[in-house]
Amino acid sequence: MTANHSTTEETKKRHKHEGPRKHIVAYILSMFLTLIAFASVIGGEINVSFIIFILLMMAGIQVFVQMGFWMHMKDRGHTFPIIGILTGAVVVFTMVIMAEFWAWW
Amino acid sequence: MSAHTHADGHLPHEPEKATLEGRNKVLGFWLFLGGETVLFGTLFSAFLALRDKVGEGNPTANELFNLSTVAIATFILLTSSLTSVFAIQAMHAGKKVPMLWWLAITVLFGLGFLGLEIYEFYEYVHEGHGFTTSAFSSSFYTLVGFHGAHVAFGVLWISILIGQVLKKGLNVVTAPKLYVAGMYWHFIDVVWVFIFTVVYLMGKVG
Repeated sequence: MTANHSTTEETKKRHKHEGPRKHIVAYILSMFLTLIAFASVIGGEINVSFIIFILLMMAGIQVFVQMGFWMHMKDRGHTFPIIGILTGAVVVFTMVIMAEFWAWW
Repeated sequence: MSAHTHADGHLPHEPEKATLEGRNKVLGFWLFLGGETVLFGTLFSAFLALRDKVGEGNPTANELFNLSTVAIATFILLTSSLTSVFAIQAMHAGKKVPMLWWLAITVLFGLGFLGLEIYEFYEYVHEGHGFTTSAFSSSFYTLVGFHGAHVAFGVLWISILIGQVLKKGLNVVTAPKLYVAGMYWHFIDVVWVFIFTVVYLMGKVG
């Protein structure tokens, strides 16, 4: 029981050390990227393809931030999940490119 | 170590991966998310192909969309993703009651998001943007509505999990379910990042 107790304490300590900070950082970063995306559209006046480029960049970075921090993909032992999601992403990328550029050729 | 001891807060370090069943559940859920990615991808590609096909006299994306509503919805969903991560952190620390509160807040944010989306769709229909108005409107409602349905399902799922934890406690059986529900919620948030980018912001730009 004592041994058990100390392991629990250790576990608690480690988690306290980890803390919510990196998640708050990920949140603020996501907020910031979202803000840039909205501002670039509301601010207007720059040329359209440049704005679209910014929008896609912001979305891309935000996905890495959120999947890395919040979906724990940065943690070890996530090889299969990464393979699974990447397979999905490759299929999606192909489909989206096809629809956007060749559907009305 | 019985389930009862676990329920008292003596949980292993990562309770969702403490059993083989839990580990399989997490891996299986990742494969499901891969499939969901493809599913949303088809809806996105359909929308991208059809978003200019508005037809004569029907509202275009630029005329229709109200960015302030979308910004509020984005803020709500992003914040709910943070509260769900706090719930999982509380779970890892073995703190059942804070975890339940964070989950409840997540559910409330989810309901807020759904309310905004229903209001938004209601407005659009009144502006002559029905499901069958144009190819653009059909693909828009299918994509955004499908995401909304995912949010609705997530709200229901997490609510039921709250009930289950209240009844059965936080242990190695319930922990994987909570972890997986948290992943689902983040995934919904990631899909929304693409929706507000591709549908709303790119729709406003033209």
